[in-house]
Amino acid sequence: MDTQETAQKKIQTAKAAKDLAQMNDIHPMDDFIRMDRMPHIWCPGCGIGIAVTAFAAALEKAQIDLNKVSIVSGIGCTGRVAGYVKLDSFHTTHGRPIAYATGIQVANPDMKVVVFSGDGDLIAIGGNHFIHAARRNINMLVVCVNNFIYAMTGGQVAPTTPLAAYATTSPFGCVEPPFNIPYIADSAGAVYVARWTTLHVRRLMNAMTEGLQKNGFSVVEAISPCAMYYSRINRLGDGLDMMNFYHDNVEIRHGEDTKNLDIGFQTKIICGKFVDRERPTYMERYSQWSEAAKGAKR
Amino acid sequence: MKADPKGVLTGTHYIDGDVASGYGALAAGCRFIAGYPITPSTEAAEAFARVAPRAGAIFIQMEDELASMAAVVGGAWAGVKTMTITSGPGYSLMQENIGFGASLETPFVLLNIQRGGPSTGVPTKTGQADMMQSRWGSHGDYEVIAISPDSPQEMFDYTVKAFNLAEKYRCPVMIMSDECVGHMTEKVVIPPADQLEVEPRRYYSGPPEGYQPYKPDPDLVPKMAKAGDGLKLYISGLVHDERGYPVAAEEFKTIYVRRLVDKIRLNKNKIIELKEEGVDNADIVVVSYGISSRVAVKGVEMAREKGYKVGTLRLVTVWPFPDERIQELSSKVKAFVVPEINYGQVVYDVARCTHGKANVVLVPHGGAGVHNPKDITDAIEYALKQEKRIEGVVEFKTRLEKLVFEGGMKLKE
Amino acid sequence: MNLIAKALKDGIQKSGVNPAMISMPSDIPFSQEVTRELGVDFFQTTRGRAIAFGTGLKLSNPALKVMPVAGDLMTLGGNHLVHGGRRNMELCVIVVNHFVYHTIAGKNAPPMTSAFSPYSTFEEPFNFPHLGNSCGAVFTARWTALHTDDLGQSIATALNKRGLSLVEIIAPGPNYYAGIEHLDEQLLKFYREQSEVKNGEDPRHVAIAPDKKIIVGNFTDKERPTFIDQYNMQLGKVLGEKFTPHGVIDKEPLPGGKIG
Repeated sequence: MDTQETAQKKIQTAKAAKDLAQMNDIHPMDDFIRMDRMPHIWCPGCGIGIAVTAFAAALEKAQIDLNKVSIVSGIGCTGRVAGYVKLDSFHTTHGRPIAYATGIQVANPDMKVVVFSGDGDLIAIGGNHFIHAARRNINMLVVCVNNFIYAMTGGQVAPTTPLAAYATTSPFGCVEPPFNIPYIADSAGAVYVARWTTLHVRRLMNAMTEGLQKNGFSVVEAISPCAMYYSRINRLGDGLDMMNFYHDNVEIRHGEDTKNLDIGFQTKIICGKFVDRERPTYMERYSQWSEAAKGAKR
Repeated sequence: MKADPKGVLTGTHYIDGDVASGYGALAAGCRFIAGYPITPSTEAAEAFARVAPRAGAIFIQMEDELASMAAVVGGAWAGVKTMTITSGPGYSLMQENIGFGASLETPFVLLNIQRGGPSTGVPTKTGQADMMQSRWGSHGDYEVIAISPDSPQEMFDYTVKAFNLAEKYRCPVMIMSDECVGHMTEKVVIPPADQLEVEPRRYYSGPPEGYQPYKPDPDLVPKMAKAGDGLKLYISGLVHDERGYPVAAEEFKTIYVRRLVDKIRLNKNKIIELKEEGVDNADIVVVSYGISSRVAVKGVEMAREKGYKVGTLRLVTVWPFPDERIQELSSKVKAFVVPEINYGQVVYDVARCTHGKANVVLVPHGGAGVHNPKDITDAIEYALKQEKRIEGVVEFKTRLEKLVFEGGMKLKE
Repeated sequence: MNLIAKALKDGIQKSGVNPAMISMPSDIPFSQEVTRELGVDFFQTTRGRAIAFGTGLKLSNPALKVMPVAGDLMTLGGNHLVHGGRRNMELCVIVVNHFVYHTIAGKNAPPMTSAFSPYSTFEEPFNFPHLGNSCGAVFTARWTALHTDDLGQSIATALNKRGLSLVEIIAPGPNYYAGIEHLDEQLLKFYREQSEVKNGEDPRHVAIAPDKKIIVGNFTDKERPTFIDQYNMQLGKVLGEKFTPHGVIDKEPLPGGKIG
């Protein structure tokens, strides 16, 4: 009897272990994440992982063939995203992901191109590519994870760092007013502009889905805590404290005029979907023009 | 001229090479730095940003390296000493405006803390593979000065010297350091301001009508002017004559480029600084620079313990290259051993100067680490054993290479 | 003297600024005769980097008036413009826009015969005043080169403005660059007919598009602290007494000793 029980118990334990192993094998994001590259480099309390999860869910929701999605990142913490997702991923040079993505899109218009990068990468060094791709209305989704600082290099001031916030290269407080990313995207011609924090996972996911489905240059700004640098240097607590801050200080205003979306140091953050319009994309204009050019004489 | 005491942080510090360079810049009279964060050079910018206000200096973090370099050239023409700070990828982005600065004969200093490349490479680990880029990086013909310090103390000293050279020869001066030296923390002694020589800018002081921005003094270097002095400057990146006006004819191009390169080449002996040790009567001379020279010290020591006659030649200024000295040594020694953290850059210049009179052995390293001193000892031994002259450069197979490619080293993350 | 230079001279005269204190980094190669006539310090920079170069000039010597003139701003230098605007660097940026004529005039315009776009262009152009305004410029204006009086006045206002101001000049292409005496009737007529003055218009609505008139005028005119103001304000707040504001001649050295 005893032996029988023990044997049964053994079988049960083995089964449980097997289940557990299987569960580990088939992580819900297994199709999407390069599990062989785990663990990732992001610090505890960082929001980038949340943004990636939201993106994975958005891809599923938008029902896009994963073989037809290409993801391009630049350099920085968020720049590592491309290396962790199981799509055609390109980890490119600093500031240039939009330029690479333009190349991919124009060479093969069937591809859905996603640029997943940080504020420093996209808006500082890559600012020119950002406004030009928006002007041309290249069909791509740009996810800009904004953590208000250069985190990978150790907490330098970024063009999104709020006035008076501290960073290592602004040891006496930031003296440059930050960019309002939705406003600059809007004025350069983006067709879809939304901003959410990484607290608003579902809304962030929906915004990404809409951006993926949109034909044209779509921008989703995901405000993310940086517990290691931004919060630490400015003594704002850890990742959870930042999430609490978002919870208390985010105001949702869909359709708000993008010029009212400035972010100050620990002030209210306005989130929502601000722009959703139609403009001919670069490729549409190109085909129109090439039709016309066929008939024209040089 | 003595240094401005406001910028000199006199005392004994325990800081890393990057910070020492930032302090060195302020001590040398640098009052404007435009930079962009890039590992492993950022600490220099951070250090400068912290201490800048005490001397009325300003640090601005620009939107990218292109802008940083352009702002640095602009700042120099507004009349202050300027510097920028970067590493591999940023250095590549700066090349266009480095050439621009060289063509305008702008004095400025560039601190490049080299990291592993190519492209993004290994940001947090070392490399010495930008050496040729520092010389030939921008298009066209021009000459620069490149210095390679090997300790935090030298980072301070040679940053000051770099500013002095830049002012003296009105050319870009590159401090080609590397991640190891940049992140190495050691004692740095900063002398009192009255013991620190700084070179003042050579300004024009005659009547405004007579000013010609590129009319050279006898040492081939023209006098500088600054914006806002009523001189109605006309400064252009086009090929220009002495008045600064664009010209395209080949005779003007010849005059222009000739002086651009000659002001460095003909003043070479005044610029070059070498550190030699035990070179007389040596059979082998180890030629090295930057962090490799510190590793070489150990390698040479071990070789000497074995009874070999080995000398060291350290290139403090890598560019301009000490052709004559290498040539002179090549008829006395059996071989040169050149350890560098790349697959052969400066070694080819050594080989060029030997004219086949001595063998040249390269001890390569792929980067992300420094040489094993034993490799340098072995390379010395190998060089001694060679009886025949070998054409060109011989590449020594290091322990790491043998392990990786022959020994079946288990590769894991 | 060409149209742009004439407008610049006019603007500088009207502004009352001493030309000797004006530095003009430009990626348009003005001839030495022109810059002598203007009386400014002229720097021909690398393409698109006039604003970055000007940032260095201004921060190194805040007494200078810096007036970047940009032709390639729309392509290479776009980033420098938006960041300059964000910082509100005290620069009077002149953007020379040659391409509009071809974009708008359609069939009537001379064909655009650049090697890259032999069949005219199909991309939408930037709306500069809107872009400038949205990144924080304190003054934006647009005129055609033939609105000589208004243009001169705008340049004068821009030069005296504290912060980044942006004046877009719509000018005939290089074929017409030779001089005002060579302008043909067709072009004059085109500019006269195709432009409409709307001062104070929201820059959002002044995009240049085919079949639409070019809206010209002074659009934005606001006040914001400049980079140097903000720098002095913030560091003064943090460092207190021992901080000597940037751009002010030193009164006494900072107390030595402790770093930072």
